[in-house]
Amino acid sequence: MDFTFTEDQLAFKEAISRFLKTEVPPEVLRDICDTEEGSTSELRQKMAEQGLAALSVPENQGGLGMDDTAWSLLTQELGYYAIPDSMADTAYVASGLLTALPEGTQQREQLLEMIAEGSIRIAVVHGVNPLVVDLHLADKALVEHEGEVHLVSREQFDCERNTSIDSSRRVSRLNFSASSASKIAGADDGSGVWAETLNRGALAVAGKSLGLAQRMLDLSVDYAIQRKQFGKPIGSFQAVKHKLADVVGGIETAKPTLYRAAYALANGDARADLYVSHAKLACCQAAMVAARHGIQVHGAMGYTWEADLQMFMKRAWALQASWGTAEFHRQRVADDILADGVAIGPQYTFEG
Amino acid sequence: MKLTFNAEDERFRDEIAQWLETNLQGEFAKLKFRGGPGDEHMFSEERKRWEQRLAEGGWTCIGWPEAWGGRNASIEQQVIFAEEYARAGAPGRVGHIGEGLTGPTILAFGTDEQKARYLPGILNGTEFWCQGYSEPSAGSDLANVRTRAVQNAETGKWEITGQKIWTSLAHESEWCFVLARTESGSVAHRGLGFFLVAMDQPGVDIRPIEQMTGTSEFNEVFFDDAIAADLIGEPGQGWHIAMTLLGFERGVSTLGQQMQFQNELNELIRLARSNGAARNPNIRQRLAEAHTGLRLMRYNAMRMLSDTEDAGSESSALVYKLHWSSWHRNLGALAMDVLGPEAEMLESAPYNLTRMQSLFLFTRADTIYGGTNQIQRNIIAERGLGMPKEAKGR
Repeated sequence: MDFTFTEDQLAFKEAISRFLKTEVPPEVLRDICDTEEGSTSELRQKMAEQGLAALSVPENQGGLGMDDTAWSLLTQELGYYAIPDSMADTAYVASGLLTALPEGTQQREQLLEMIAEGSIRIAVVHGVNPLVVDLHLADKALVEHEGEVHLVSREQFDCERNTSIDSSRRVSRLNFSASSASKIAGADDGSGVWAETLNRGALAVAGKSLGLAQRMLDLSVDYAIQRKQFGKPIGSFQAVKHKLADVVGGIETAKPTLYRAAYALANGDARADLYVSHAKLACCQAAMVAARHGIQVHGAMGYTWEADLQMFMKRAWALQASWGTAEFHRQRVADDILADGVAIGPQYTFEG
Repeated sequence: MKLTFNAEDERFRDEIAQWLETNLQGEFAKLKFRGGPGDEHMFSEERKRWEQRLAEGGWTCIGWPEAWGGRNASIEQQVIFAEEYARAGAPGRVGHIGEGLTGPTILAFGTDEQKARYLPGILNGTEFWCQGYSEPSAGSDLANVRTRAVQNAETGKWEITGQKIWTSLAHESEWCFVLARTESGSVAHRGLGFFLVAMDQPGVDIRPIEQMTGTSEFNEVFFDDAIAADLIGEPGQGWHIAMTLLGFERGVSTLGQQMQFQNELNELIRLARSNGAARNPNIRQRLAEAHTGLRLMRYNAMRMLSDTEDAGSESSALVYKLHWSSWHRNLGALAMDVLGPEAEMLESAPYNLTRMQSLFLFTRADTIYGGTNQIQRNIIAERGLGMPKEAKGR
């Protein structure tokens, strides 16, 4: 048992973290939220230059060939800085999907190369995630249809752009008719690929949520130390302290579930669904608790537009039902542990 | 114990229900279910005219004494009014601060001259009020008020200087009651006065605060040698008056609030049934829990308002805010879960929230304003249970 990351993974995470911190401080985040699209191609391009786009593309297609465990770190950074961009959808979820398809699948290698270069946006559309971020901006969409994989170009589908409670998000439903021309993989190959893809989508949301939780905690701790009432920092009152202690409790207990799930995905674990659902539930829950206690600790300030906290809270709230609601993921856990012939017994207690 | 209304009360119920039905028509029809929590910024002019219509029907300030234009309505009748008002979907009251807070305070502490000056405007729906309590450094620690009141030696008028914050409806109000320090060098609850200040004067500057909802219902109010029209009670009596006033806040208006909650819950149940969420066992349980919580709230409020020697009634008043604010916050979270992935979608750009999003965001404030949940728990423990006070830094 070893939860440590490699030096490469940690160094990459550090570099990205420093980059995002410099590039997207809260005032820049606000400016981007105010733009028509709630995102900018400049930021996207810069992130690609940092190697994010190529992160998990296979080396053969010009990528860095890192796996899900690296993404479990990087999605936390994307969450911590509330990066207003759907980069992970292309560079992690779509890239993972394409990589999982058999070699030689129509356009597979070409698209992976474009992802690695940062020259394409690919949206992933699945029934569990009907509202797709930045779908209207995507060059291509990979679409689930009865277990098959369909690839459609922007000019072949319609979508209506909706604004979100999170000012940076633009979400859309896909309107398109599947045909034999759009199919790039049948249900034989597709089913397994989609199961994996759904897990990647959920894991990306889990990682971002956990990063957001940490950011909200940091902001709240700062505020509780600096804000005085009754002649003392409010952080000296137990009622306030305990709220934030509960937040860090949620974050720290969720973190290993995220890593466990990433490891399961990277290694093709047969029970990956279970581990991913653990992670999605625990990380989103940690973010919800951080949001709820964060605003409470900030008092009325936390309810204002001016306080940065609201941007992080709204992102956390929007992500809550993204790539599967809590109900969906609890159901998956229940389906696993209540199945016939499930591996339950003393010899399995600490397995996995 | 008597848990029913008598025949006279029921006649009263019919009367107000009938009146509301007849009058919530024409120009007022569009106000139905508007102007409530999270929606206070909507239709303010129309809602002020609605206040005047209410006044014409004799339906403002019904709990006030008849001598000052009220109906001297019993607690039961006030409850009935609040219930029917909310049931009809009549709009959020713009006049609630004047009617529920300023009026009772002036009736309790004001001179006859002051009553004659201020009560008619409230009664007629022509003068609206806001509450100048909180300051940047006086939130939970309300007694830390720093706004100063200095009596001008020549004119004898009190002049107010300082900053108030989170002042709801300041931009819609003619008047503000202001808690200010009359005794320089005094600290905490000593040396305060309770002043009535006209908002339309050079020394008053109102700046809206944008909420996370994207709307502005509350404001910062800056006083710079603003002239107070009146002092209620004596200098130094301000804290006592302010606290008495907060007691009025827990009054019968809570029953109307509950009816709004019921409206919201009904809407949520309708949504859950229409989008299939009601088939989900977890959502079903939480809806049932919400329903139960609301009934608890109702019985507790009725008991609280009962004229009773029941030793528990003091505690029941103390726990009330904590209960409803937590319940309402949970309802907001449940609304988002009922909607699932669609919960994040706005009604329209740039930032127009759906009714359920407003509910969700607004309820985040419920556990903060009017005493945070943490302050409420301290009050319950210290005042209700007689536990030692938390150490303060001054």
